[in-house]
Amino acid sequence: MCSLPRRIIKETQRLMQEPVPGISAVPDDNNARYFHVIVTGPEDSPFEGGLFKLELFLPEDYPMSAPKVRFITKIYHPNIDRLGRICLDILKDKWSPALQIRTVLLSIQALLSAPNPDDPLANDVAELWKVNEAEAIRNAKEWTRRYAMDN
Amino acid sequence: MGSCLCKEKKRRRRRWSDEQQQQQSADDQADPCDSRRPVSSISGRLIIDHELPLPTRTARTAAVPCPLTIDHLVLETLSVIRTLVENEQEPPASMIKLHVIADKEEGWLALVTSMVRVIPLEDPLGPAVITLLLDDCPLPTRESVLRLALLFNLSAERSEEGRRFPMQQRNICVVLGCIAEKMAGPNSIAILTKGTLDYLITNLLAFQKEDMNPSVILFSLVALEKFAQTTENKMTIQRYLKEYETNPLLGLEQWIGNPDYVKRQVGFCAQWCLDNLFLVEGRPFSFNCVDLSNINVMLNTKDVSEYLKISPNGLEARCDAFSFESVRCTFQVDEGIWYYEAEIVTPGVMQIGWATRDSTFLNHEGYGIGDDEFSLAYDGCRQLFWHNARCEAQSRQCWRPGDILGCLLDLEKPEICFYVNGQPLGSSTHVTSNNNVFKSARSGFFAAASFMSFQQCKFNFGSSAFKYPPVDRKFKSFNEHAHLDAEDKKILPRHIRLEQLRKLSVRDDSCTLCFDDYASVQLTPCGHRGFCGNCAKQLAECPMCRATIKEKQPCERFRSATQE
Repeated sequence: MCSLPRRIIKETQRLMQEPVPGISAVPDDNNARYFHVIVTGPEDSPFEGGLFKLELFLPEDYPMSAPKVRFITKIYHPNIDRLGRICLDILKDKWSPALQIRTVLLSIQALLSAPNPDDPLANDVAELWKVNEAEAIRNAKEWTRRYAMDN
Repeated sequence: MGSCLCKEKKRRRRRWSDEQQQQQSADDQADPCDSRRPVSSISGRLIIDHELPLPTRTARTAAVPCPLTIDHLVLETLSVIRTLVENEQEPPASMIKLHVIADKEEGWLALVTSMVRVIPLEDPLGPAVITLLLDDCPLPTRESVLRLALLFNLSAERSEEGRRFPMQQRNICVVLGCIAEKMAGPNSIAILTKGTLDYLITNLLAFQKEDMNPSVILFSLVALEKFAQTTENKMTIQRYLKEYETNPLLGLEQWIGNPDYVKRQVGFCAQWCLDNLFLVEGRPFSFNCVDLSNINVMLNTKDVSEYLKISPNGLEARCDAFSFESVRCTFQVDEGIWYYEAEIVTPGVMQIGWATRDSTFLNHEGYGIGDDEFSLAYDGCRQLFWHNARCEAQSRQCWRPGDILGCLLDLEKPEICFYVNGQPLGSSTHVTSNNNVFKSARSGFFAAASFMSFQQCKFNFGSSAFKYPPVDRKFKSFNEHAHLDAEDKKILPRHIRLEQLRKLSVRDDSCTLCFDDYASVQLTPCGHRGFCGNCAKQLAECPMCRATIKEKQPCERFRSATQE
């Protein structure tokens, strides 16, 4: 493997020593740039009680470019599409090299608490979220129960 | 394009996220049933025993086309995939249809069973295409995967029975590996049942009887390796292997250097597993045993993308990951005429040639050697020269295991020439004059190569006699001119390397972005500090406040204790 940048080593050490509540991020045994992530659904959100798996990958030019993050667990959310891709500005044009793995994951957790149907990635979900929020939230809870609680 | 396959996928993903709406509606309109063709048109190609049960009629929903249609789409994808070389090329229609089909659980199951039935053993891109198709489908649910396991009905007996159907067995193993990798974690644990494990290990043990196709053994081993990415599975496999008096991997390791090129791959992978994953008590690590006295140049373990496997002697490399893995050698050449050879072990997509330090390895985007202006490579599978991500066709046969690719760099002329088994490839000079790699660089070249999934080759930088040395000019070999310290020759197993890296400590006056260098730059007008010169150079706006940067001024060292 490439010699691992100090930045990644440092972040990994800190993630292990001072984990973020509700978030676990563990580097892969074989690839220190690939993290297995679990985010717990925030309280008072339709995702409460769910455990959501994500994958996070640090590209070669990290931290000059953003980590690549994707939900592996299916989730009903207007800003997350059916392949798990996330619509979040800091993962795209609003990335800053001062952001870190932990801040990225906190932002994703916050996105679960505050879905933003006006900037959608999953269009049908966003549509329902706007016209019938109650039903959308019911769906989100149902998906959480069905896909994020089996383990 | 290195791996057009990977690239195709990434590009499409980009489009999905950028133009989500359009894609969504296109998806909605695409009707998988449109792909129905008269069965007669494909029957001639399906000379396949249907040993694997087809999904039953009752299990299929109306939305899933019949198995023969899917078989046809799979074979079509396989046959067009090697023609996909342009960056802006659309993915083939067959592939898009398959993705639509696989979007539903029944469709996914139908696709997987179809791939197992029809991907031929001998196609050099077969396993890579299985990987590619699965990688681009939405992840299956746990239920789908468990249903698939039921359908496969794996067991030791199945391994015995299956020997008559090596193609299906090989494909099952490729599929298992993909799923294990994609669903690392609890789902991967759920699939690695006793039956699955019995099946895979019985496949390995069959090497003693010589009645098993070595490809099945190879991909059983790769599948076990991918299951072991989940720690609990790794321990389960370890325990299972320990029950044997002699670990089967030790037997397979004997196949290193076997004249049968598939067995040789098995040997390579077995050794890699024994060094990196499934350690055996009392077996010394290979890097401690290998004789390196005559070797002065290697593939550089500090200059390689993360998943490439490198042999303990530093000369053979293999990729079993989804990504397009690249490596440079340890020795740089700046003038004169140089030659090296690569022995082709697998006939799939590899881009082998020359690159400077500026050539980047974007393994996950599918870019490798030959995909930027600082490199030039030959891919003998698709018979293409690559420079700056453009390709030029060569009229030659697809390379075969055992072929020797000769790579000559003449910095006096300057030109780069390639030879297969001593035969010069016609228009390499044409490529160099048109797409001139020498416009970008006249010195600082390394031998370099990129590998698609499941590809392997062995380099000779001059530590043994060249098979086909060019006769038309006098050249030098790296090995005669290079030197490596004993410490730099050690190809350490990953866990040892990672352990060493993690022990590294960081000074508190380092750059807050890379931690490599001292923080010595202050940004104006915002005044933020904590960056080294190298990072500051790459910034357009302040990482802390996003203010546009007017100037980057040197400042006193900044201590980051206050940073966090």
